[in-house]
Amino acid sequence: LRDFLELSVSAAASGCIYGLVALAYLLMIRPTGIINFAVGEWAMVGAFGGFLLLSRFEWPYPLGMAAILGFMVVVGWATERIAVRPLVERGAPLLAPILALLGMLVVFRESISLGFGPDPHQVPEPVGWEYLKYFMIAATLVLFAAVWLFFEKTVWGKAFEAVALNRKAAALMGIDLSRVTAASFAGGAAAAGLAGLLVAPNVSAHYLMGVPLAIQGFTALVIGGVGRVEGALLGGLLVAFAEQLTVRYAPLPAGYAQGVPLLLLMLFLLVRPTGLLRARA
Amino acid sequence: MNTRNATKLAGWVAAALVMSAVAFFLSSYYNDVYRKLLLWVALALSYNYLFGVSGQVAFSHFVFYGIGAYAVVIFLFQLGLPLPLAILAGVLVCTAIALAVAIPSTRLEGFYLALATLALAQLFIVVLNEGGAVTGGTGGLVDYRLPPVFGVRITGPWYTVVIVVLVLATYAVLLRLERSWFGRACRAVRDNPEAAAAMGIDVARTKVIAFTLTSVLAGVAGMVYAFVDNTVNPPIFGLENAFLLLFMVIVGGSGRHAGAVIGAVLLYLLPFVLSPLIGHHHALVFGVLMVAAILLQPRGLVGIYDKYSSGQKAY
Repeated sequence: LRDFLELSVSAAASGCIYGLVALAYLLMIRPTGIINFAVGEWAMVGAFGGFLLLSRFEWPYPLGMAAILGFMVVVGWATERIAVRPLVERGAPLLAPILALLGMLVVFRESISLGFGPDPHQVPEPVGWEYLKYFMIAATLVLFAAVWLFFEKTVWGKAFEAVALNRKAAALMGIDLSRVTAASFAGGAAAAGLAGLLVAPNVSAHYLMGVPLAIQGFTALVIGGVGRVEGALLGGLLVAFAEQLTVRYAPLPAGYAQGVPLLLLMLFLLVRPTGLLRARA
Repeated sequence: MNTRNATKLAGWVAAALVMSAVAFFLSSYYNDVYRKLLLWVALALSYNYLFGVSGQVAFSHFVFYGIGAYAVVIFLFQLGLPLPLAILAGVLVCTAIALAVAIPSTRLEGFYLALATLALAQLFIVVLNEGGAVTGGTGGLVDYRLPPVFGVRITGPWYTVVIVVLVLATYAVLLRLERSWFGRACRAVRDNPEAAAAMGIDVARTKVIAFTLTSVLAGVAGMVYAFVDNTVNPPIFGLENAFLLLFMVIVGGSGRHAGAVIGAVLLYLLPFVLSPLIGHHHALVFGVLMVAAILLQPRGLVGIYDKYSSGQKAY
């Protein structure tokens, strides 16, 4: 049982990471419909930010964390400016910004590999090793609570929802669509960057860490449903538990855990394509 | 056979002869480069049908290339099947995997296929690395030779001729497909799924068939590739190359055969030019090219050519 409890805590911690990545997708998909596969690379940028500020410059953790989140907001905003806004303004089909963002994915990854080299880099943990998992869970819950409050209680959150429900009507009501898009990318980048920073002490900052996170996060999103913020976290936890249980109890090499998201995804697309939680009308 | 068909056939034969003849004038190093260039062209052509004509974003094309390569080697040398049966079995494996991925993914609108194929690409590498004796693990499978075909061992430039035939056959199949009822259905589904459905096209089925057919074409190209280097190993079939294929089609001009060929040739040869300048970081240049192409010239290089030649063809 003790074994199972430990497994639950570590699954919950990685589930939080997947949930954060799913939240990053969700923040961008809801108002714009754009799937940004570069979220994984954003997480990687967050992790390398952690390496740079916390390991190399030895900033105190809270200060470094705040600086990284601020930097990620800028990164998200800049990405939207470069790769999304020109296409949206031209009225290009939805696929165009998605492909441009795929190009940005490669640009991010190769820039990092150019700047830091192909070796993994250590990132320090904010608290002692034995508390790290609880810290990851707590930080994730704080962010999810903040996002939930944002959508429920603030005018800006209502504007987001309005754009998600009906772009044209929202624009007619005087909501600035390009501002909402920019804000959604900035928020998405911050959520992804936080995921990268939190997971970095466990896996080290590495330029190839992005794609697996992007896959796990998106699977979490499909499972939870794209309509609700809580769905992202729920989906993330489910993916993580399925992975950890497979590794622990199935007689397979650990690498095959990477197949779990694919199988879950196929299963959910066949059985419940709308995800577990449906968007409120 | 009327004269029009006869001239067409003569054109195909002439193309095959010219493209094959080149191989006999190249040194063995440049023959190797030429072979891989031709294989990239074959892959780009079929990927262009999947992405450009049928409008599906998938990252699995290179995976099927790998599945084809591994399958034919495993069936030939571990199960001891004769060559025609091994090829057939490889095609069946590709078909089964393609159907298993495409059917759930196309149930929904949106980009689920992109994600499912991304996950498939990731999983494929894991299976290759963990596959033990069957896949040869991280070292892959080595030390095998193409068995004799009708008692003849095909080697050197003559194997390049096989690849030329593969490229032209791929092109011929795609051309027939594109100009058929099915090709028009694919374009209709790409441009407006609702309208296509209203016209009586089964959208999901069209997508699944296009995905499966092009994936099998990639698998066959992979089978031919297996005997180019006479080794198959996991790093060859990584996600990098799946992205490269997408970039080739977009930079060249998606939806157009000429675009796929131009993109494949350009991006395949670019690293040879760039590596003295920037070493192994040509992927960064590819990413920038890709973003630039989408922002500045969504029709790709072919689009630029169209602008300056007489009329604008809107395929």
